[in-house]
Amino acid sequence: MNVNSVLRFTGILIIFLGVSMCLPLAVSFFYGDGSSNALALSLVISVGLGGMLFLLTHKNKGAHLSHRDGVAIVTFGWVAAGIVGAIPYMISGAIPDFTNAYFEAISGFTTTGSTVLPNIEGVPASILLWRSLTQWLGGMGIIVLSIAILPFLGVGGMQLYRAEIPSPVVDKLKPRISDTSKTLWKVYLFITLLEIIFLMLGGMSLYDSVNHAFCTMPTGGFSPKNASIAYYNSAYFDAVIVVFMMVAGINFSLHFKLLSEGPKVFWRDPESRVFISIFLAITAIITFDIYGTVYDSIVTAFRYASFQVSSIITTTGFATADFELWPTLSCSLLLICMFLGGMAGSTGGGLKTMRVILLIKHGYREIFRIVHPHAVTTVKLGGRAVPQETLNSIWGFFTLYLLLFVASSIVMAMLGLDMVSSFSSVAACIFNVGPGLGIVGPVDNFMGIPIIGKWVLIFCMLLGRLEIYTVLVLLTPEFWRK
Amino acid sequence: MKIIIVGAGEVGFHCAQKLSEEGQDVVLIDKDPEKIKRITDNLDVQAVTGSGTSPGSLKDAGIVGADMLVAATDSDEANLIACLLAKNLNRYILKVARVRNREYLEEKELFGDSLLGVDQIINPESAMVETITNLMTVPGASDVIDFVDGKIKLIGYTIAKGSALAGRQLSTFSDIYGNLLIGAIIRDEKVLIPHGMDTIQAGDLIYLVIRSNELNKVFSFLGINEKGVRNVIITGGGDTGGALGEALEDSKLHIKIIEKDNLRCTYLSEKLSRALVICGDGTDKDLLIEENIGGMDFLVALTGDEENNVLMSLLAKELGVKKIITRISKLSYIPLVSAIGIDTVVSPRLSAVRAILQYIRRGKVISVAPLKGEHAEAIEVEALETSDIVDKPISKIKFPKGALVGAVIRGEEVIIPTGNTVVESKDRLIFFALKEVIPKLENLLTVKLDYF
Repeated sequence: MNVNSVLRFTGILIIFLGVSMCLPLAVSFFYGDGSSNALALSLVISVGLGGMLFLLTHKNKGAHLSHRDGVAIVTFGWVAAGIVGAIPYMISGAIPDFTNAYFEAISGFTTTGSTVLPNIEGVPASILLWRSLTQWLGGMGIIVLSIAILPFLGVGGMQLYRAEIPSPVVDKLKPRISDTSKTLWKVYLFITLLEIIFLMLGGMSLYDSVNHAFCTMPTGGFSPKNASIAYYNSAYFDAVIVVFMMVAGINFSLHFKLLSEGPKVFWRDPESRVFISIFLAITAIITFDIYGTVYDSIVTAFRYASFQVSSIITTTGFATADFELWPTLSCSLLLICMFLGGMAGSTGGGLKTMRVILLIKHGYREIFRIVHPHAVTTVKLGGRAVPQETLNSIWGFFTLYLLLFVASSIVMAMLGLDMVSSFSSVAACIFNVGPGLGIVGPVDNFMGIPIIGKWVLIFCMLLGRLEIYTVLVLLTPEFWRK
Repeated sequence: MKIIIVGAGEVGFHCAQKLSEEGQDVVLIDKDPEKIKRITDNLDVQAVTGSGTSPGSLKDAGIVGADMLVAATDSDEANLIACLLAKNLNRYILKVARVRNREYLEEKELFGDSLLGVDQIINPESAMVETITNLMTVPGASDVIDFVDGKIKLIGYTIAKGSALAGRQLSTFSDIYGNLLIGAIIRDEKVLIPHGMDTIQAGDLIYLVIRSNELNKVFSFLGINEKGVRNVIITGGGDTGGALGEALEDSKLHIKIIEKDNLRCTYLSEKLSRALVICGDGTDKDLLIEENIGGMDFLVALTGDEENNVLMSLLAKELGVKKIITRISKLSYIPLVSAIGIDTVVSPRLSAVRAILQYIRRGKVISVAPLKGEHAEAIEVEALETSDIVDKPISKIKFPKGALVGAVIRGEEVIIPTGNTVVESKDRLIFFALKEVIPKLENLLTVKLDYF
């Protein structure tokens, strides 16, 4: 591993995140909420820290990045990003102790949206904007953003890009990796602006619109309101946010292709077809399940069902209803949605629709082979054969995912959590959803989790966002062997 | 510029690498998923798994918006079909095809606008033959490159131990100023663009610029016996060997071609009148001694078997051949064989890469030749009227460190410049430049915007 490059890049990333604090700093001056000193100090600390790393490693630059370096840079970059993200919380006093501040920061960058803040509305406006900004930056990927902005990465960029992008297969939209990243970020920025405009048209204030858009597009789920979107109790906002959550759960390459190929592209793509169908099917079932039992009108039932389903399946985590009070069928379906997650190449977490499709198709092929032992079969997606290597990697991924999920849940249970809370808190974090069930349900928060439990969940959030392999490979002795 | 390269073999890979480093948008197409994986791991280019002869794959690669197609697979037929499809899918695309079969090349109208519309044919074999004949004009040189249609030669020469040149400072060569110039020194795999204060050391590979009609001055400068090359032996009478034999028909050389295959020998002897065709194995020591190998000035190992070529070359070296040229296709072998004492290598793939790159970079830059190890280049450019370099003596031009003017060509006149030479517009210049200063040099050479 090229330690020099890893430190150098981490330094650049820290400087970059430090500079991004200018936005909340400006807001802080505007509102005069008393956090400007804290934010300014955080900015100076981050830029100073990053600058030091950068200058110390300045001499021997230009080394070729191997796949191993890429993995290390991305993982260490994200761990360091959490520290930078925690600084403003600690200095401003919003979350004074390190574990909680780090939890909140990682929950932000990984777009999980689990919070330790019991009273969100009591936190200064600028700090809340920083909290939303961490989600927005983490959504499309802080490393991908650096590749887009920093021109010198060249070939090494591909190693970083692949380690960060949440997808089993990596396709480039443009021949150059920096152009691909730039395109993705432009699409992301454009849709975010669109959402801000739609929210403002419904009468939401600019500040709230920006915060919510910053948390919808990365499928994050932080809200500056204690009651999340339920605060507004408006069908219009619910509808706008459902649409944008679904947009965020779709592969961003498709949004780019929309420009050239028109809206047919969403139905032609096999993965997005399945994703949209699953959403519609589960919404329909839950609508009928809660119609009559929870809500009296079918329209209201549909409104709350569609919001909750899109929020959970895209792993956003906004809430307009306390779904813990819903019938068991609806609750279990929502739990399944957590596993499914968004599409590959979207900002959503979870297993990803593409993996689910391929797992099922692969499983079916194995059964088929028992009937026809000599048949030559390939698993196809959209008429194209999927390489066996990809299938194996997905099975490995799935197995590790489940193992880690079970292991972490057992640790949570050992720490004294009840069964529903220990399973759902891990699910909420490893799938980057946000709220779980039990003591971490949609109307509760993660403050009550013991310290060790919080660190386990922080690890789970990183695992989920970086898709397991990138983080786990650093824990193998082979990685560190020369 | 968006360039689609069909075929991710060695030629495709190296072209893609060079072009992507130069800032072009490159899309590679290959059938083999393993090769595609290797490319996405190593290069910043887009890779498409598929066949270059399938319209679907070409569309996937974005042929409609592309500016150029380079068909660089090992199969001529695949390359030609790719060009045909490209023409059909995008009327304005430039097409470069690698074609080896000489029979195809003879059908000139095949490549014309009415049929394939290939803009540039790259034939690595003929490029290789040209390189070999060039090397023969300067005995002992390890690299000979033509510029300005052969008016100027760039000669790479390794300084032997005990040479009179070793240890001399460049500024002491004032007597030869204006006739000859040392443009680059390669020492321990590193390229120096020299100053007057630099010294030549034994073991250096120096690059000289000279007018082609004054080659004898180089011979006396380097202390080469002027008699030049007389006896040449070629092992391997395949396509390249045969073509080389044909190219040397008009020379005064004594040529022997050793070829294993009986039928091929008969064919060669019918076709060639000057060369003596010998049927046998080039690795057979007794046969080589029988044919007086020790008295040969040149051995060119051109069989299709590269391991055999290497063995033959080592054997011939031991038996006293003065200069050996070895054909090696696999580019990864080239650094290895130089370590075991084979110094001059020709490679059809490297020739193809060079030819493709030269075509793509044409325009203001007339031709480019990478120097050994590829850390430096010799570039031929036209001095534009509005650029910063005209109407000044060369010593007043602010060249980036690591760049040097090697020759100035004004109409028919060739000037080997000194500090007082004034560059005029429309002059053609030959630069030596380290790879990293080439962008700076390009800025200097291009038109100043405020002129308009």
